[in-house]
Amino acid sequence: MEKKKKYKLSLKEYKKLFESHYASLCVFSNTFIKDSEISKDIVQEIFIKIWENKISFNSKKTVKSFLFTAVRNKALDYLKSSIHKKTESHAFESIINLETESVFLREVVITETSIIIEHAINTLPEKCAEIIKLSIKEYSNAAIAESLSISINTVKAQKKIAYKRLRPVLKEYFILIISIFD
Amino acid sequence: MSISKKIFTYSKKLANLILSGKNSFEIELPEIFDKTDKDYIVSNLTETSKINKRKEKHDAIDKIEGWNHIEKNIFRTKRRSLYWKYAVAASIAVVTSFSIFYFNKKSNPTSVVVKNNILIGTDKATLTLEDGTTIALTKGKSFTSKNVNSNGEKLIYKNITLNHQEEVKYNYLTIPRGGQFFIQLSDSTKVWLNSESQLKYPSQFISGETRTITLNYGEAYFEVSPSKAHNGDAFKVISSSQEVNVLGTQFNIKSYKDENFVLTTLVEGKVAVNIGNKDNQYLEPNQQTVFNKISKEISVENVDVTLETSWRKGLFRFKNKPLKDIMVVLSRWYNIDFSFQNKDLEAIKFTGTLNKKQQLESILSNIKNTGFINDYKISTDTIDIK
Repeated sequence: MEKKKKYKLSLKEYKKLFESHYASLCVFSNTFIKDSEISKDIVQEIFIKIWENKISFNSKKTVKSFLFTAVRNKALDYLKSSIHKKTESHAFESIINLETESVFLREVVITETSIIIEHAINTLPEKCAEIIKLSIKEYSNAAIAESLSISINTVKAQKKIAYKRLRPVLKEYFILIISIFD
Repeated sequence: MSISKKIFTYSKKLANLILSGKNSFEIELPEIFDKTDKDYIVSNLTETSKINKRKEKHDAIDKIEGWNHIEKNIFRTKRRSLYWKYAVAASIAVVTSFSIFYFNKKSNPTSVVVKNNILIGTDKATLTLEDGTTIALTKGKSFTSKNVNSNGEKLIYKNITLNHQEEVKYNYLTIPRGGQFFIQLSDSTKVWLNSESQLKYPSQFISGETRTITLNYGEAYFEVSPSKAHNGDAFKVISSSQEVNVLGTQFNIKSYKDENFVLTTLVEGKVAVNIGNKDNQYLEPNQQTVFNKISKEISVENVDVTLETSWRKGLFRFKNKPLKDIMVVLSRWYNIDFSFQNKDLEAIKFTGTLNKKQQLESILSNIKNTGFINDYKISTDTIDIK
């Protein structure tokens, strides 16, 4: 990563990245550190670093990986230093656990997947969105019908509409991501 | 494939499966994960309590505050910083302003505002009774008669029906530019009226006859009290030369005098649209009839009803709408006129959500900051777009 400056985000890309990932990264950071204010500070610091281009990227693709990695490293650094200062009672074992690659990567998957799902649902009409939200929570059609006091047929019809609408949205979303990060 | 690429590809596939309601996650698991990891991931994305907890945390994050802090650190020159503050704040504050997608043009100096007495629209209307008496309804002024009362923000008719021998009496509710109003008719049907609209309706309906009301002009959203609550009496809305026969529930009619089309959008239930000689055109939810008042042709389109009916919920939502159409909507709500110096600007399309409680100036300044319009000038009650 430290070789030479090859790629720099445009302002537009930077802003898009902030919009799509800032809040989710704060939550991500918060899974390592309990204090939500410090979690936020860390994410902001990383964003500032990216823009000031103290970090250089090999390609656009690495930007997102960098974000997650940097936030996590910074969070772990903070945890370690707070143990030294004894201001927090995190045991060393739990830090070692947090440091494992799979623990980090599964949080990345949860964060990324949630961002995509949320973006997709936001494009749906209100009623469709409500139904899909319940369907994600593994509600059956009957359970959805009951909780929204509508008929099962309406649920099925709305789901159909939702799937039809989501197809191009998800496609578009992937293209968007690719155009920024590939 | 690098591990990070695998992780992002896996996330996309997972999102797709979850959205399509497939519970069997039979996609290749990146080798870094074992069964425990997979269960952990899936439960975090599908369990109600975990989803809600995430959402709560997510929603508690103040994006604007975050951006302000970052902005302060990354833009040191004042000019740039001001410019960016507008552009980004505008696109982040989803509800209060336009989403701005273009930043390529340079921002111009402050726009000229000569005398700004432009007010945000409010709840107001004029009620015309059967004897011709008119009553101004505005916030803070209440009105009561034997069959209707108003607190100045809505008008509620008492639930009385007439029998065949009695004579039907019509009332009118007129909403000026810069106004909106809610009315509940004597059969409990609810109607939300947009700016510059007029509704004609019987103060009481006759039992055993079709409940007929007329949208003389303008836009209204109807939530019709079902026939079964009225011994099967049907409901009909006349507008322009179009009739909408209501078989149940909720829809929107947009029928402005200065527009060539009557748009009828069905949100829930079923309606039949009739334009005289032709057969009924039945609408399903999320469909809209477009009736051309000049050619007398009618067509059906699939639409996003949340866009079409957002005005009722205090928002104006636009998706790929030409600036001219947007200005027409704004002119009714802010009671202003507008003109384009450069006609090419009329066709530029915007997507975004506006809050009806927003000052007109802040909307215009956001539009200006996209760089598509050079400037605007507000004088008394006219907006000139340059």
